[in-house]
Amino acid sequence: MTADRSGLMTADTGASLPGPYSDLRVVELAGDPAGEALGKLMATMGADVVKVELPEGAASRHIGPMVGGARDGDPDASLNFWFYNVSKRSVIIDYQAADGMARLRGLLRRADIVITGWRPADWAAHGITPDDLRTDAPALIIANLSPFGLDGPWADMVSSDLVGLALGGPLNSCGYDDHSIPPIRPGGDQGYQLTASFGHIGVLLALLERDRTGHGQLVDVAMHDCLSVSAELANPYWFYPRVLVHRQTCRHAQPTPTQPALFATADDRYVYFALITAEQKPWQSLVEWLKSKRLAADLTDPAYDDPGYRLANFAHIQQIVEVFFLLQTASDSYHEGQQRGLPIGVLNAPEDLPGDEHLATRGFFVPVHDDAPGGPHLYPGPPIRFSAFAPAPVTRAPRLGEHTAEVLGGAA
Amino acid sequence: MGEVTGYPDQRRRPRPRNGPLAGIRVADFCWMGVGSVATRLLADFGAEVIKIEDRTRIDTPRKLPLYKGEGARNFGEEVVGADPDKGGLFNNYCRNKLGVTINMRSPEGRQLAERLIKASSVVTENFAPGVMERWGLSYERIRELRPDVIYARMSGYGHSGPHAAYRSYGPVVQAVSGLSYISGLPGREPSGWGLSYMDNQAAFYNSAAILMAIRRRALTGEGTEVDVSAVETGISLLGPVLLDVTVNGRVTRGQSYPAGNRLEHPGAAPHGVYPARGEDRWVAIAVFTDEEWDRFADAIGRPGWTRDARFATQRSRWANQDVLDERIAAWTVLRDRYEVTKLLQDAGVRAGAVQNAEDLNETDPQVEHRGVFFEMDHPVIGEARFEGVPIRFAETSADNWRSGPLLGEDNEFVFTELLGVGADEYAELASAGAI
Repeated sequence: MTADRSGLMTADTGASLPGPYSDLRVVELAGDPAGEALGKLMATMGADVVKVELPEGAASRHIGPMVGGARDGDPDASLNFWFYNVSKRSVIIDYQAADGMARLRGLLRRADIVITGWRPADWAAHGITPDDLRTDAPALIIANLSPFGLDGPWADMVSSDLVGLALGGPLNSCGYDDHSIPPIRPGGDQGYQLTASFGHIGVLLALLERDRTGHGQLVDVAMHDCLSVSAELANPYWFYPRVLVHRQTCRHAQPTPTQPALFATADDRYVYFALITAEQKPWQSLVEWLKSKRLAADLTDPAYDDPGYRLANFAHIQQIVEVFFLLQTASDSYHEGQQRGLPIGVLNAPEDLPGDEHLATRGFFVPVHDDAPGGPHLYPGPPIRFSAFAPAPVTRAPRLGEHTAEVLGGAA
Repeated sequence: MGEVTGYPDQRRRPRPRNGPLAGIRVADFCWMGVGSVATRLLADFGAEVIKIEDRTRIDTPRKLPLYKGEGARNFGEEVVGADPDKGGLFNNYCRNKLGVTINMRSPEGRQLAERLIKASSVVTENFAPGVMERWGLSYERIRELRPDVIYARMSGYGHSGPHAAYRSYGPVVQAVSGLSYISGLPGREPSGWGLSYMDNQAAFYNSAAILMAIRRRALTGEGTEVDVSAVETGISLLGPVLLDVTVNGRVTRGQSYPAGNRLEHPGAAPHGVYPARGEDRWVAIAVFTDEEWDRFADAIGRPGWTRDARFATQRSRWANQDVLDERIAAWTVLRDRYEVTKLLQDAGVRAGAVQNAEDLNETDPQVEHRGVFFEMDHPVIGEARFEGVPIRFAETSADNWRSGPLLGEDNEFVFTELLGVGADEYAELASAGAI
C-alpha cells in the first residue's frame, strides 16, 4: 500500500500518463473568480492555460490580500490572483484595439477552449459574438460563465458573489437562529466556485461531444441558474411537501427549528455534532464516551435505553452533551469521537490545516516557489487523484505578461 | 433477446439513450448524497447508470420525509415503515438511473455484482473506505473483470491516510475543511452553512473526475482508479484567505474574522444584506467603486446623508460601514425587496433580493426563461419537479427519460436482458434473497 501523492491504496498502478488535460490548450479571458477557478481546475489537471490580460492586468491582480510588504499597485503581489491563477501562463493582448483582437483570434484558432465571462452587453461592447469567434475556429469550445446567462430578462443585470447567492437562493438558508440578523454569506466566493464547477462539467461534456463530431460549441453557464439548483434540500422541500426551510446557526435550514449542532469546547473552539438519539448504536457510543470522562451524569440510567424516553428528555441530554464538550478540547473531541464511530467534525480555521496529520500523510498541500519572501509556501494540491495520471505540478501564478513573447512569438 | 421484461407501464422500460455519454454503462454502488448527485450527471447525459441498492439497507434519501402532499417534517423525522418509493429526495437524486437490488452479503449477490461490473465500464462508490474491499471489490479485482475500468471512489477523507476511516457527511466535511469557520460574523460562533454544500461540490468534482477519465480512456484505452476526498475539495474552495495564512502567516482566529457579509478584499462598501419590507425579507447590495456609489446615491434620490464626508470615498465608506449600513437599512426597510432590486439594477448597481425556493420556482422570470426546472411523472409520487443541469449547450442537451427507479424496478430487465441470467436462475436469486 502506498501513501504517496496519488493517494490510492493500490500498489502497482504507477501513475504513468501525463495529466488528463495535457493535450488541451485553453485561453482564459475571464476576470472574475468563476472563470478563473475554471481555468485553474483545467491548469492543475495539465492543460496549458493562457490567461490573456489587458495591459493593466486582470482585475483580480488588484484585489487583496496582498503579499506582506508589497508596494501599492504591484500587479504581481495579489494573493487573490495567486490563489485563482496557479499553473497558468500570462499574455498581454490589448484586444479592445483592432490589431489586438486579430492577435487574440489568432490565439483562439490554436486553442481548444476559451473561457469568457461576459453578459450580452459585454459581448456587444467588444464588438463580437460567440458565433464570430467560432467561424474561423470550428472546433473551439466557448465556455461563457456570466451572472445570468446570455439570454432572458435579467441577462444584463450586474452581480457579485453576495448578490448571486442572494438571488440564487443559497443565502436564504445561511445565517443564525436569530432572524433579526440577516442571512450571512458563506466565505470563499462560493457563488463563483459553484459556477466554475458547472462550467467545468460543461466543458467536459462539450469535449466528449467534440471527440465524436469534430466541432466545438458554445457552453452558456449562468451563475444564477447554477445557484438556483444548489441549495440542497430547499427546492425538494418546495417540490414535494411545498414548505420552506428556515436558516439556523451552522446547521441545516429546516421547516421547523431543530437543536443546535455547534458545541463550544474547553479551548474556545467549536465542534459540529448532530445529536441524534433515535439509533441505538451511536447512542451507546456516546454514553460510553461520556462515561469514560465521568461526565455521563444520569444518562447511564437504564430508562435511557428506550429511544422514546431519550426523545422525551432530549433537552436534558443536549445540556449534558454541551457541558461535556465544554470540558474537552476541540481536537480531542474530534479524534476521540471519530475513533468511537461518531460523525463529529472539528471547526478548523485555515491555519489549522497545513499541520493536519491526515492531510500531511496524503501530501495534499504542495510547496510552491512563489514570489513572496520565505518560500516555498504551501498551496492546496489538486483534490482529484488518478492512479493512471501523474499529478501536474502546481506552479506559481504568472507575473503580468510573463509569457507574452513565449506564447505570441512571431505569430502576432 | 426480445421484450421479455414486464414493465406495467411500458414508458418506463429503458430505451437507448442520447447524449455524449450514450453507450457507457455504470455499475453504480453510490448512495446518500455525494455519490447519487455525482452519478445523476452521468445519467442525465446518456450514460446507462445502474444503481445498485440493498433491500435491507434502504438508501437514506428514500427515507427522508420529503413527501408530496404531506406536511412539513424536518429531515430527521423519518416515518417508520414508509413506502421507499415515495421519497422525493431520492426521486430528485436518481432520475434517469436504472435501479436494481443486490444483497452484497450473499455469495450469489456478490457473483451477480461481478457479472454486472464485467458488463460495465465505469464503477462508482461512496462507501466508507474498506467496504468495497470487504466484498472483494478492490481495484485489482475490478480490473481483472474489466481491464480498462474506471473505478471512481468518493469519500470524505480519501482512500489513504490516518483518518481515512473517519465518518463524515456534508456538515462534518464543511467543518473539517474550514468552510464553516470562515463563514460568520466577527466575535461570535460561525454561522457556517445551512445546507450540505459539500455534498454538492464534492459531487460535481467527482462527476468531472469521471468525465475526465472517460475522455482519456477514449484517447488512450487506459482506465484508472479515481480518489476524490470531499475534505480536500472543501479546502481547495476556501479562497484567497488560505494563501493569506500560508504565505503571509496570518492567524484568522481572533475577534475580527470572518467579516460576515462585509468584504475584507476588495474594500467594497456598502456590501451587505439589508432588511426589506415584510417579515424576514432581505436585499443584498454591493458597491465596489466610487462610480457605482454615485449611481447608487442617484438611484435612491441623493438623501442628505449620502453627502456625509465619511461616505465620500470607497476607502472612507469602508472604514465607516457601521453607520453606512444603518443609513442604508433605514432606507431599504421601507421598501419591497424587488423594488430595491429593480431600482438599483436599473442604475447599474449590484443588488438582489434574497430569494427562497418559492420565489425561484413560482415567480423568478429568469429561471423560468432559462428553463432551469422541469417535470416528470413518477408511478407513486405522480408529477414531480426536478432541478435541471444548469448548463446551456448550443448542441447538446440532457436526456431526461424517466423519473427515479422504484426499489428493484429494473431487476428483471438488467439481470435477464442485459446480463443474460436465465429465468430459472433469476427465480433462484430472488428466492435466495440475493436480489
